[in-house]
Amino acid sequence: MKKVILILLMLVFASLISCAPKQMYNWEDYSKTLYAYKKDSNEESLLKHIKELEKIIEVSNQNNMRVPPGVYGELGYYYLRNNKIKEAVEYFNFEKQLYPESVILMDRLIQKAAVAKTLSDEAESINHAIKESEK
Amino acid sequence: MIMRVILLERKIQYVIIFTLISFSLLLSACGPKMVTKGEKFPLLYEEAPSAILVLPPINQTTAANAKEYYSTTIQEPLSFTGYYVFPYEVTAEILKMEGIYDAELLTNVSLPKFREYFGADAVLFTTIKKWDLSYIVIASTLTVSVDCQLKSTHSDQVLWEYNGTVVVDLSGGSSGGGLAGLIAKVIVTAISTATTDYVPYARLANYNALSSMPYGKYHENFNRDRDQKIIEQKQK
Repeated sequence: MKKVILILLMLVFASLISCAPKQMYNWEDYSKTLYAYKKDSNEESLLKHIKELEKIIEVSNQNNMRVPPGVYGELGYYYLRNNKIKEAVEYFNFEKQLYPESVILMDRLIQKAAVAKTLSDEAESINHAIKESEK
Repeated sequence: MIMRVILLERKIQYVIIFTLISFSLLLSACGPKMVTKGEKFPLLYEEAPSAILVLPPINQTTAANAKEYYSTTIQEPLSFTGYYVFPYEVTAEILKMEGIYDAELLTNVSLPKFREYFGADAVLFTTIKKWDLSYIVIASTLTVSVDCQLKSTHSDQVLWEYNGTVVVDLSGGSSGGGLAGLIAKVIVTAISTATTDYVPYARLANYNALSSMPYGKYHENFNRDRDQKIIEQKQK
């Protein structure tokens, strides 16, 4: 009798496991933090959303899951807006590697980042020159 | 005597079976008309696009913020259908710089342009049809309704279209909108007393509509869902 119960219990567990759908992506609280940012756009809400994107990448990698489409690209874009060129390009390249479909857009963004870099380099050298002449 | 009892039991059995059969016939006659994904959207299977660009929504409601809020609810549900989805926050900003705030302004832009510029195989048009609260004497309902249409950047043809609607009875009674309506009903009891938030329902409406979309290449059932049945919707 005990054996029968044991087998029945095992069957129930087995069916439960097979019923649970395998999740394709892990989006964490993406839509929540994005909505909060849209509702009230400021540095704090943007930072929270960026943190969420980083968390998606971290948790996906921990669980051997594919990072959802667009996440690397979006994160890179925020870095680009904040003039953090190196990080931006790194993320655009990640998106490109993971999703070859994104190559045209990502290359466009990498190009943009290169222009932004030249501009900021130029600005820096001008600043430097001004400082030098002031000496 | 025994024979009679057995006969009577048989009779009862027949009656029960007969009632069951007629009842199920009645139910199937009343239910919605079903079609398979393969019958309904053959062009999508034929072209098998892999990258989808979501365009800024068209807002046909009077709710001014519906557009911006709705646009936060599409990326995640769409990704689960198995297509590559361009990061909406990025592409929307690029389009904005080009002076394109909503898809209404795009009617004159030829679709192949989106393939050249972004690398998109198809573009998703969304139209917000309803985004409102209505108060009736004893009940109030929240409705979110969205028309979705996927168009090819290769052939200009409509590959897929479907409507997603969620109606929520805020007084805690019954709700419509199929399966999504049932889910909404569970959630609503939790928020009915708090301020009404459209966004979770907009997301449900998206899931509702996208459930009819054939899967893309990143989904494990890609190309294996032709026979999956969906509810036939009347096309306008």
